[in-house]
Amino acid sequence: MKGKLEPSERERLVEEGKNLKESLVTLEEDLVKLKDELQHVAQSIPNMTHPDVPVGGEDSSAIRQEVGSPREFSFPIKDHLQLGKDLDLIDFDSAAEVSGSKFFYLKNEAVLLEMALLNWTLSQVMKKGYTPLTTPEIVRSSIVEKCGFQPRGDNTQVYSIDGTDQCLIGTAEIPVGGIHMDSILLESALPLKYIAFSHCFRTEAGAAGAATKGLYRVHQFSKAEMFVICQPEDSESFHQELIQIEEDLFTSLGLHFKTLDMATADLGAPAYRKFDIEAWMPGLGRFGEISSASNCTDYQSRRLGIRYRPSEPPQTGPKKGKANLPATKFVHTLNATACAVPRMMVCLLENYQQEDGSVVIPEPLRPFMGGIELIKPKHK
Amino acid sequence: MGLHKLRLAAAVPVTFSSRLFLKPFTNTLTLGLFSRHLQPRNKPLLVRAFSASAAVQDIPATQTSDSSAARPLWKAAIDFKWIRDNKEAVEINIRNRNSNANLEAVLQLYENMVNLQKEVERLREERNNVAKKMKGKLEPSERERLVEEGKNLKESLVTLEEDLVKLKDELQHVAQSIPNMTHPDVPVGGEDSSAIRQEVGSPREFSFPIKDHLQLGKDLDLIDFDSAAEVSGSKFFYLKNEAVLLEMALLNWTLSQVMKKGYTPLTTPEIVRSSIVEKCGFQPRGDNTQVYSIDGTDQCLIGTAEIPVGGIHMDSILLESALPLKYIAFSHCFRTEAGAAGAATKGLYRVHQFSKAEMFVICQPEDSESFHQELIQIEEDLFTSLGLHFKTLDMATADLGAPAYRKFDIEAWMPGLGRFGEISSASNCTDYQSRRLGIRYRPSEPPQTGPKKGKANLPATKFVHTLNATACAVPRMMVCLLENYQQEDGSVVIPEPLRPFMGGIELIKPKHK
Repeated sequence: MKGKLEPSERERLVEEGKNLKESLVTLEEDLVKLKDELQHVAQSIPNMTHPDVPVGGEDSSAIRQEVGSPREFSFPIKDHLQLGKDLDLIDFDSAAEVSGSKFFYLKNEAVLLEMALLNWTLSQVMKKGYTPLTTPEIVRSSIVEKCGFQPRGDNTQVYSIDGTDQCLIGTAEIPVGGIHMDSILLESALPLKYIAFSHCFRTEAGAAGAATKGLYRVHQFSKAEMFVICQPEDSESFHQELIQIEEDLFTSLGLHFKTLDMATADLGAPAYRKFDIEAWMPGLGRFGEISSASNCTDYQSRRLGIRYRPSEPPQTGPKKGKANLPATKFVHTLNATACAVPRMMVCLLENYQQEDGSVVIPEPLRPFMGGIELIKPKHK
Repeated sequence: MGLHKLRLAAAVPVTFSSRLFLKPFTNTLTLGLFSRHLQPRNKPLLVRAFSASAAVQDIPATQTSDSSAARPLWKAAIDFKWIRDNKEAVEINIRNRNSNANLEAVLQLYENMVNLQKEVERLREERNNVAKKMKGKLEPSERERLVEEGKNLKESLVTLEEDLVKLKDELQHVAQSIPNMTHPDVPVGGEDSSAIRQEVGSPREFSFPIKDHLQLGKDLDLIDFDSAAEVSGSKFFYLKNEAVLLEMALLNWTLSQVMKKGYTPLTTPEIVRSSIVEKCGFQPRGDNTQVYSIDGTDQCLIGTAEIPVGGIHMDSILLESALPLKYIAFSHCFRTEAGAAGAATKGLYRVHQFSKAEMFVICQPEDSESFHQELIQIEEDLFTSLGLHFKTLDMATADLGAPAYRKFDIEAWMPGLGRFGEISSASNCTDYQSRRLGIRYRPSEPPQTGPKKGKANLPATKFVHTLNATACAVPRMMVCLLENYQQEDGSVVIPEPLRPFMGGIELIKPKHK
């Protein structure tokens, strides 16, 4: 229409232009809706799975390793709840009045024990080159979703804050994942390795029955979480590094545990592969999960928008970004529990109890507790 | 710690927006006095309709059968007689504190309540008399008459009893915003009137241009506000590297120091029922509330460990021998900081989430003043050990907040901000919180003279006194330490007492990338 035209021709073109414009608007709207729907449906496709992962339900999980053996007791043992009462360490009753069930106060040596566990864990993991962090515990709900959790379903694990789009975190993985969202990192910056402390909040909606006793399942707890951002080709070796760190920590504390290579039905959408560690809890009479280490490959990074730019342009290969920069790629992310305090406390109290009702403090923790070797019954 | 904002016409005691109480009572009781008829009950107007903080509770009221669902869940054990007998002192106190409490309304409601109570009792007696009479032999017409009278009395009684409940609720509601009395030594006035109890140290002289904690935090890779703004919003932050070790060292060291003074360490829930928050003197549901609420529940996040610790012994009677109870409690604290504006919100100075160690004492009334001195001494010793320059203020009446009988604030010199900033607060709440939390004790020896004895010769219970004091508010301490201990080369010296708790680190050095 920029050239010279007959009036009738111009009129025809104007009409045609108008029709095209209307069709375009409609189609563009349809395209947006279609893209949204595609996105919504596709986002629930879980991550792919490592070829070595056993296929099946919980009974199919493979044992990667087993350390130690159940301690033999020559006297009738107590569970951690009884020990907590008798040694004036844990108060669930007052917390039930003040807050509700599955909340608790720690008292006396249990406070020192929590601090010792976190301090010791921090110092051990820092030696492996992890950067310590503390994190916000209130985050925007979109971050929670990008990490693969569901803030708003029925039976959601996530507490929401009234009148805002914010939630409480269930794990430090969420705010740490958020640090580098919508970023392009230099290859030379990788790997990024964090050990992050936070309090964690979980509704535990839908958790029922015996597996909810005492400290085993609570709404609020302290946790030290490892988080790694790396190049795709390195994630498997970092997964091994993380599980090794966990196994070393729990071995140092003298726990009896097994490391499980979780089967496909137990993975959770983000995980390409997941190792869970279950420790022997004699008072409960069974193994209980004390940590979990997941390789999420690019599942979270595709949602959080975390990319890196390789440093050397590939010699061959078609794709180059602007101005001869190599194209960005998605990083891989991994997360692993270094210390979930209440579960650790169940293990330590139940395993280290003595006939006279006292509890021995494992050696590595003593320097972090002012040298205390024993939690003794108190005489009132 | 705010007060209920009552939208009453303050000068006229009987003009309440509750339609039920239009006139003072007279002894002539007729149903016509009430603007309400005996009908199947609708939900009546909320007794607290005039309050800005009327809450819709998710859990049902625990009280009487036919009342509305808006009945308060708890009551402070207020000594109305004492208020009436000391009304001049109470009025002066309210004025000095710039409180919105309406004493006239309380006194009027109390009088009305007392009168209504008498009326109710009189009617009950009459009804009992009628019932007695009906047990004997009677003429049919007489019996019919008595039946009618009994029925009328019963209906009147039901009405009056409901009104009495409402009146008591309203009295309670209005009276609960009367602030605590004030220690005679507390200066009267606003912030400029606060007295200096002591001043320790002096501002360090710097021979080089200094940075504020935000700049130090960036340069030393210690604090990240930018990522947190994306992930969570403003006034959130991550601590990194040595700052994490510093936080842990501060908490560990503080704990060990305060435990030596006989305080029991605690960690606490950070989610609590909102009624507990109210009982401690905070307002979970006002405009500009400092309190985050959890969606879909009656729960809130705590702004201080004072709240869950106060709740431990609520609705209890302690033995005198159990007192004093002294706690040092760690928690994360969450505050909306709604209404906080301007320059006093920079960096770590005002944040939504922080770690804090809080001291809490429950004691006998005669001991609270000396424990207040103990608490402030502990704080002053802690901050002196860290080499801070600070002053302890005896806060003036307008700055006290409803629960505090007396409050000492410590403000430390923050050279990067160029001013003093509050790093701790120590309050003696006397029986304000305990009357709301229901914390009593039973004296061990019956008083030799003295009239009151409870059942079976046990001495009557009394309300305890409670006190709370900040041992360590981590972000404010971090501002002080970073800004005061910075060196020309950009490093920061770690104060000696903290070094053993940081694996021996003496210096935070700039990192080379």
